[in-house]
Amino acid sequence: MLSGLGNPRQAAAQLMNFGLILSTAFMMWKGLSVITDSPSPIVVVLSGSMEPAFQRGDLLLLWNRNVLSETSVGEVVVYNVKDKDIPIVHRVVRKFGTGPDAKLLTKGDNNLSDDTELYARGQDYLVRKDIIGSVVGYLPFVGYVTILLSEHPWLKTVMLGIMGLVVVLQRE
Amino acid sequence: MANSQEKITVYNLADLKNTSDDAIPNYLNSLKFTPSHRLTDVRLALGYSAFALAAACFLWDYKFGFESTKTYTAAAVAVYTALNTFLTFWILYIEKGTIYQGTSPDGQSKIRISSSVKKHVPIYHLTVEAETATKDGMRKEKVVLKQPFTDWFDASGRFVAAPFQTMLATGIPVVGRFDAKRVAASSEGTTAYTPEMLDALASAEVATGTESKKTKRRKA
Repeated sequence: MLSGLGNPRQAAAQLMNFGLILSTAFMMWKGLSVITDSPSPIVVVLSGSMEPAFQRGDLLLLWNRNVLSETSVGEVVVYNVKDKDIPIVHRVVRKFGTGPDAKLLTKGDNNLSDDTELYARGQDYLVRKDIIGSVVGYLPFVGYVTILLSEHPWLKTVMLGIMGLVVVLQRE
Repeated sequence: MANSQEKITVYNLADLKNTSDDAIPNYLNSLKFTPSHRLTDVRLALGYSAFALAAACFLWDYKFGFESTKTYTAAAVAVYTALNTFLTFWILYIEKGTIYQGTSPDGQSKIRISSSVKKHVPIYHLTVEAETATKDGMRKEKVVLKQPFTDWFDASGRFVAAPFQTMLATGIPVVGRFDAKRVAASSEGTTAYTPEMLDALASAEVATGTESKKTKRRKA
């Protein structure tokens, strides 16, 4: 693999192949974002607040376009709260008004009370633009990998080590 | 990689092919052929512009967020897809495994060599397309060569230049014109090298002298 380094064009081509793997993965993610109109079209469920519908580690696919109807009561949505960086997956339980300014109230299926406590200080309801997508599909358990990686950072080091070893041992 | 001291694993087909591929430009350039890098340069330009676009997209997304930049992101995704599709097309249908493109020292012939191997079969396939200017227009010729790698790798994985160059000079008329001493007599062919001779040639090239050489028995 390192044999081409003497030849600048061959070295450039090897570097390019590596770069294109990264950029293609990134652009596929961005393409999915553009299609679903959501900044983060795939999210992982981090808590049990939506059990029995979704469990920790489920991977959710989101859709953020209102093509046929607006977001309405009963839909499971993912929303962001100002100054909190973790998106929340809960169900819309109340809706007042229509259009982009409709006031929405959410609640976790497994929680005793609604989400007003989770919202920002002084915020009593959500509006459409707080929502980054409605759940349209899910894959159980797959997201556990990312939960493990974020809860046990040393696993990232181990994984990088293994990947590096594979690259070194497998020359093509 | 074409230096004969470097040993490769003889069971690794990719190594065999890459080493042979690298030896062809070395040989032809030593015969004063002028290489043309147009195919590679176009591929690099396509690939790096696609990568630069993705990097730019990453930067504006990181800096300004998704909502305010999504029109640009959509355009970037479309252009990136187009560039990558064209790159794939270029590699599959235009480059077609070309490893050398160049002009002969007298400027009369243009030559293009592509190589391939079939999975698990240690045979080197070369397709050579040559265009020679004659007084009645361009004469095109196409030569297909098939040779087992054992002809120019010895048992320990050393690349031996002489039989490899003989194969090229004998098989490709354009190359033969500029390296007459390597052209094998037609009756003999290029398979005249026995494994023992390969070893001897390899040692001669390495010229370590003191290396104790085991006799290697192998069916050619």
